Amino acid sequence: MAHAEAYQDPGTPQEQSRRQFMAQATIALGGVIGISLAIPLVVSLVPSADASNDAWSGLTPAEVDMLKKATANTPVKVTFDVHETNGYFGAVDSEQFVWAIRASDEEMMKARPDLFQGPNKMPYPVVNMGFTIFSPLCPHLGCRYAYIPAQKKFLCPCHGSVYSVLGVHEAGPALRGLDPLPLRDYQGKVQVSWILYQANTPAHVVIQVG
Amino acid sequence: MLTWLDQRTGVVTATKDFLTEDVPGGASYWYAFGSATLFAMILQIATGIFLCFYYAPSTATAWESTKYIIEKVPAGHFVLSLHYWGASAMIALVAMHLLQVLLWGAYKKPRELQWIVGVFLFIVTLVLGLTGYLLPWDLNALLASTVAIRIAGNAPVLGPMVLHLLQDGDGITTLTINRFFGVHVWLMPAALVALVGAHLAIFRWNGPAGPPIDEAPKLKPGRFWPDQMFMDTVLSFGIFVLIVALSTFSPVPLDDKADPNNSVFVPYPAWYFMALYALVDIVGSLPSWLVQTASLFATIIGPTLLIVLLIVLPFVDRNPSRRLTRRPWVLGLTALIMVAAIGLSWYGQNNVVTGQLAHNLIGPGAAAVSTSTAPSTPVTTTAGSGGASSSGGSGGTAAAPAAAGAGAAVYGANCAGCHGATGQGQPGVFPPLAGNPVVTGDAKTVIHIVSSGLSGSVTVKGATYNGQMPAWKGTLTNQQIADVVTYIRSQWGNTASAVTAADVAAVK
Repeated sequence: MAHAEAYQDPGTPQEQSRRQFMAQATIALGGVIGISLAIPLVVSLVPSADASNDAWSGLTPAEVDMLKKATANTPVKVTFDVHETNGYFGAVDSEQFVWAIRASDEEMMKARPDLFQGPNKMPYPVVNMGFTIFSPLCPHLGCRYAYIPAQKKFLCPCHGSVYSVLGVHEAGPALRGLDPLPLRDYQGKVQVSWILYQANTPAHVVIQVG
Repeated sequence: MLTWLDQRTGVVTATKDFLTEDVPGGASYWYAFGSATLFAMILQIATGIFLCFYYAPSTATAWESTKYIIEKVPAGHFVLSLHYWGASAMIALVAMHLLQVLLWGAYKKPRELQWIVGVFLFIVTLVLGLTGYLLPWDLNALLASTVAIRIAGNAPVLGPMVLHLLQDGDGITTLTINRFFGVHVWLMPAALVALVGAHLAIFRWNGPAGPPIDEAPKLKPGRFWPDQMFMDTVLSFGIFVLIVALSTFSPVPLDDKADPNNSVFVPYPAWYFMALYALVDIVGSLPSWLVQTASLFATIIGPTLLIVLLIVLPFVDRNPSRRLTRRPWVLGLTALIMVAAIGLSWYGQNNVVTGQLAHNLIGPGAAAVSTSTAPSTPVTTTAGSGGASSSGGSGGTAAAPAAAGAGAAVYGANCAGCHGATGQGQPGVFPPLAGNPVVTGDAKTVIHIVSSGLSGSVTVKGATYNGQMPAWKGTLTNQQIADVVTYIRSQWGNTASAVTAADVAAVK
């Protein structure tokens, strides 16, 4: 270790005041470097604005045929392409799916009254073109649930939430039933809107559309 | 609060110990190079970590993610440019620090090990520069790295093994990018931090060497904190401001994506390898029976010997005196090597790079002219593909194609150095030609400026330039002036009429 001989001498008053200035200037300059470096570095982590995806995704005729195979007690998995921006790969079509069940407003209103009235009322129609489509994400914590044909139930593999074919929460830790997504016939084209809802809340809180 | 913290961690005591240190002969800006190098290292690590959030090493993503950083990431181009210029600063500072220790004889007993660790730090820094050069995976990255890898592959005995080890296989592939990435972001930084730790620990043990004199300093010792620390911070701050300015006004460029089949693009090295680059060029023009031996010496044996010499220096030079006047051999040799390095770099920059860069951006037509100064560099002018440039290529239609080719050659050899290969000029120094209304205006004015030169202040696109444009009528023929005027009037979006040699003669 150094002997630090110089530090034994407090120095003249001028030296002391000079040192005080140097200490403050060192801290100030160091702070300026730190802040002017920290700003661009932190800013670079902000997700870029043009990374958002299309709000509506179209179904091909084959996919519409698949949708139409759904019956009142047998849901079908409908796949479609979501047009999204995948970082430096740019715009890509990534395959996505939803579950579709044939249903009427009366049936749904009976099975899932909370979607039609009260604080959890959906801002869009739950039944469209005679179908209800469900987001494939379990409302508990976002895993993809599976359909078990033998029991006619949806079962989530992660924590065991169970839902009826109409999306009624029947068992497990989830706080709400399956999330219906908007479906529409827009200028002759069937379209689905992909909406991400917050997990593990009783209410539908939108995180992201598209 | 501080007492509480200190009782449990000792951090306050440790900081006090760290800051309390005598500086022989008083604090000095001469002692600030080491800490400035350390600052550059911290800057590189900080910016490098943040670049890792976006960069993805593979042939499918390296260039794409770099482009994404430049174009899409908020402040991404700035952060990348900080890293790019910070690398240059770090290498320059390491070199200056090493040179200063060399000149002052501070490597002598008892600081031999500190010196050797320093030499390894120098090598690690250069390896970081070299491996980082490949990562953007643009044409220059691929070709410059190809050259570096092939040079290593020519090493005696071990060459082929080293080549395969560096490439991770038979060619430069996606695995090579991964390998260079691993070396660049983990292996070398880890080595760097460990070696810096050792360097500083030994430094604290020995204390600073002080000025290059043999008797104890007459002046009383100064303090590390705040006196020396203040000077360290001032220098680091100045360097930071310089790096920020360079990153703002000269952000890092990205060429077209790497294409192993591109046989037209001429790579250019980083400035710190410019001397080696020039040496390769010079050696290549020697008589053919000498070329192989000379190349081996220039690219492998010479640099290796230089490193070995640096490492053994404290044991070879056992003269205990640190006085400059008593060390003629070491200082003479250092001066010789420095003069050679600077001279070679100058040669490389002026005689090889300038002409060849014009080639890249203008096309094979210019290569015929530019390579006449660099006879050894094989430039394959296959398929007139326009030089695979990242620039606009031929935008105009007004000029005849033959004249455009000849004009491109004249431009590349004489004009591109200042006005830029794509006619973009240089902000504040040389006016742009692309989109310049004078260039596309009255042909007589343009001919007059080219043949007779121009001085005084001119305003182009709202910016004022006050440079000296030389007169070309003694250097270029009427036909050449006509060609180049036609060329600049029909390139980079300019679409003005062609001129003939007769027009030039009329104006002159």
